[in-house]
Amino acid sequence: MGWNWTRAKVKRRDFLQITVGLSTGLFLLPAPVRAGKFFASPVARNRLRPPGAVPEEIFAGKCIRCGRCVEVCPYKSIVPLDIGNGVYAGTPLVYAETVPCYLCMKCVAVCPTGTLRKISQQETRMGLAVLNRQLCHNWQDQILCRTCYDVCPFKNQAISLEELRPVVHEEACTGCGICTHACPLTAENGDKAINIEPLYAGARVQW
Amino acid sequence: MAQSRREFLKKTAALSAASYIGMNLPYAKAGVAPGAEEQTWHRGSCRLCGTGCRVELGVKNGKAVALRGVKDARTNFGYLCMKGMLFWKCMGHPDRLTKPLFREKKTDKFKEISWDQALDIAAEKFADAVKQNGSNSVGYYGSGQCLTEETYLFQKVFRGGLQTNNVEGNPRLCMASAVGGYLTSFGADEPIGGYADIEQANCFFIIGSNTAEAHPVLFRRIMRRKLDNKDVKVINADPRVSQTSRIADLHLQFDPGTDLTLLNAMAHVIIEEKLYDEKFLSDYTAFKSGKNETVDLEAYRKFLADYTPEKAAAICRGNMTADKIRQTARWFATSKATLSLWTMGINQRKQGVWANNLIHNLHILTGQLLKPGADSLSLTGQPNACGGVREGGGLCHILPGHRPVEKENLRNQVEEAWGMPKGRIPAEPGYHTMAMFTAVNEGKIKALWVNCTSPMQSLPNVELYAKGMKREDVFIVCTDIFPTLTTQVVNLILPAAFHFEKTGVYGCTERRSQLTVKAVDAPKGAMPEVWIVREWARLLAIKLQDPLIAKCVESYDGLEPDYALPKAIWDEYSQKLTKGRDNDLRGATYEVMKQMADGVQWPAPTEEYALTGGTVKKFVRGMDPMADSHAKDDKPYQFYGPAHPDGKLWIWLREQAAPEEVPDAEYPFYLSTGRIVDHWHTSSMTGRIPELLRANPYAFVEINPKDAAKLGIIPGDMVEVESRRGKNMLPAKVYEGPTQGMVFVYWHDQHPDRLINKVTKDAFDPGSKEPEFKICSCRIKRISGPQALTPFIYNG
Repeated sequence: MGWNWTRAKVKRRDFLQITVGLSTGLFLLPAPVRAGKFFASPVARNRLRPPGAVPEEIFAGKCIRCGRCVEVCPYKSIVPLDIGNGVYAGTPLVYAETVPCYLCMKCVAVCPTGTLRKISQQETRMGLAVLNRQLCHNWQDQILCRTCYDVCPFKNQAISLEELRPVVHEEACTGCGICTHACPLTAENGDKAINIEPLYAGARVQW
Repeated sequence: MAQSRREFLKKTAALSAASYIGMNLPYAKAGVAPGAEEQTWHRGSCRLCGTGCRVELGVKNGKAVALRGVKDARTNFGYLCMKGMLFWKCMGHPDRLTKPLFREKKTDKFKEISWDQALDIAAEKFADAVKQNGSNSVGYYGSGQCLTEETYLFQKVFRGGLQTNNVEGNPRLCMASAVGGYLTSFGADEPIGGYADIEQANCFFIIGSNTAEAHPVLFRRIMRRKLDNKDVKVINADPRVSQTSRIADLHLQFDPGTDLTLLNAMAHVIIEEKLYDEKFLSDYTAFKSGKNETVDLEAYRKFLADYTPEKAAAICRGNMTADKIRQTARWFATSKATLSLWTMGINQRKQGVWANNLIHNLHILTGQLLKPGADSLSLTGQPNACGGVREGGGLCHILPGHRPVEKENLRNQVEEAWGMPKGRIPAEPGYHTMAMFTAVNEGKIKALWVNCTSPMQSLPNVELYAKGMKREDVFIVCTDIFPTLTTQVVNLILPAAFHFEKTGVYGCTERRSQLTVKAVDAPKGAMPEVWIVREWARLLAIKLQDPLIAKCVESYDGLEPDYALPKAIWDEYSQKLTKGRDNDLRGATYEVMKQMADGVQWPAPTEEYALTGGTVKKFVRGMDPMADSHAKDDKPYQFYGPAHPDGKLWIWLREQAAPEEVPDAEYPFYLSTGRIVDHWHTSSMTGRIPELLRANPYAFVEINPKDAAKLGIIPGDMVEVESRRGKNMLPAKVYEGPTQGMVFVYWHDQHPDRLINKVTKDAFDPGSKEPEFKICSCRIKRISGPQALTPFIYNG
């Protein structure tokens, strides 16, 4: 069940070992990777924050890594990031193509810091589904697949069919990733024919 | 070609580092000839639904690697659905059965045995059952997915060899009512027209069919027709707003089971507004209130007097209004050509045959038949329910070539063709499906052969019939490619070859027979069914000391099972048993079907005619050679169907009749079941294809938002669906699909908690004996919030 933060007691010796190990490890990496790895946000295509997340710019600062969202998620969609993620270690992430978010909205209710804001299903914007028409069976005009349309929780609003081809509507797509998960086509680089781009995570915070 | 020093060093370092640890870095194989990886494409028809799409299987190094559609195919124009495109992945699947498995008791573990032992055991058990309990204690339960050759050979050995008509198949569960409807209304089974009518129809009346999910490729043709011609109307009548309803100009929603009223009310409007075709009626039609009771138009008018649109709308409820019914009737009657399409919503009913009759009535009344674009077309769900089971003699009451068992002269024709003495085939029809499994429950059947189907999942009220199948005194053999819920309760499992691993013919909805020739080898140990039956019949003949059993397979001696054996069986069936029958297939030889990429539509009495593609419209002189050869007069349409001696189409006076079980205070909801686009039947094939499984990993229950609000159910909640027979626990999907007071569940899921046939009712149509899967009553309640579920495919 993930990392038990309250009970974890690190001995002085272990602490030193980890610290030395980490810094040695970092030292061995080329300089740009070292810095990038430590501070690079894990949010990317199909790598999404749970519903209601504040912009990525302040996410790591606001999230206290309590793991409640991870714990409450009935589908095990939310995964805590491990130590390899630098300053983002311990923050929650959804791997859309592995287990998408089913929008049960339990995580937003338990977040104690407001890092996940209390929003409704419809207000959720984890990202935007973007269809790759070069890959999609329908748009290549061979196979009648409507999987993404069928599984979409906002059928006919977020994804509709036009002449049996799926079209995504930005105004209703929550970026839950259910379509990405279900998409039968996997490209060589692991992409699906429909992917979630975390467009909204990059918003700048107005202070 | 230039590269910098830095780049060179980098690549070299990476490559040598990789080679030290023994791996290769990926780079494009430039400058190397493609070599032996040649891919070949093999023609055949799709393994899944009844549309009959033409496909090509890609084979590389003796293994199936891809599947594609072909642009010039007449059925699908090159389009395939997802499950069609992916079914080839079943072939090399690690779950494939490859060894015969046997256990003496059903509680024991299976042991691997050799084919010789397996066939010997099967023969021994069937012979013992016959010796001790008579011929009627054995049975065959087949499938609309077997090749025609397989169904034909099985029924030949059972009827001619073992002398029992206990030959049934799962088409009883899906299209027996359509057979009854066609026979009673048109006098001949199977549709008059076909898919070619879609491109010429001006009005589509889709009732009791979710074409978009169950026949996606045909749905594309309907949609294309509508997009290209703005005046084309689509009417969808269904208690549930389905994906098909999206393209409808008019959606009629009503309480399940009230559609007979709707159809009679449409007839009422057509008569009252004089929209019927008077000449067509006087030339070709008789009115019937019973098989031998002929009435006239006036009596029909009186009969319909009670079905005014106002009264009907009140009975049907849902979104129905009198105006909608009038509008529907007017569009239906006055369009240039009206095409009706239906599937299980009409067939799987206690009044399935009547519902079929009432649709045919509308077509006969308005003359929306026989002309281009107009037809009354029942879509089939399985690839060979028409070709193999309806035509090949795969049901207990019909012999090959649409011959009813009870007709002595027709039995004699079959006996003669088989070289058997007169009277060899019993005169009584055998057990129909529900009676057969009841007989299993009662211990009357001692040995049962289940071929290529899974009754442990597909029978209604399945728990009841599972009891019988689990009996230790019932020996069950199962031929299949994967473990299924049914292999749990059998004694002997025989591994079979899959589609494209054997040769044979599939006949789809529109009377089209297509040949699929073996393209890849079956996994070592799996054998084609025709070989299994032949070898089994030989042993059976020895054990029962009956040379006539051996005679059933004598002419196939020594033929190799991949091509020569099915060809010999097909030749016998098509040349000897369809001769002079309405499904005359004499022209559709293997040689002809190899030339005809899209196969042949019967009747096709000669090879010369079959090479034109066969008959697009039955009964039309100039288009159907049998309409010419069987002509009684000089009218353009000739109805030579064997069931109507008067050569006419019959309009039936059929009353509204309620389903067997309707909601009450205790069980206040209607329950209906159906199919989802990604899965097919019991999902033993599609569930093993990861792309399809992840699209729809498990079944769910669809609930109307108003009902959900009353019961406090929100999307994703776990909901219990309970009837008088059993219960399920499924995640809820709340949307404006089912009408208020109705829930809908998909039936592909094998998980014991989500196996909806535990809940459905086993009432059946008194005429067609087809069970009423589509309507029963149930109650629902919320159990918990969302739970993470794991997909379940039974795997031995």
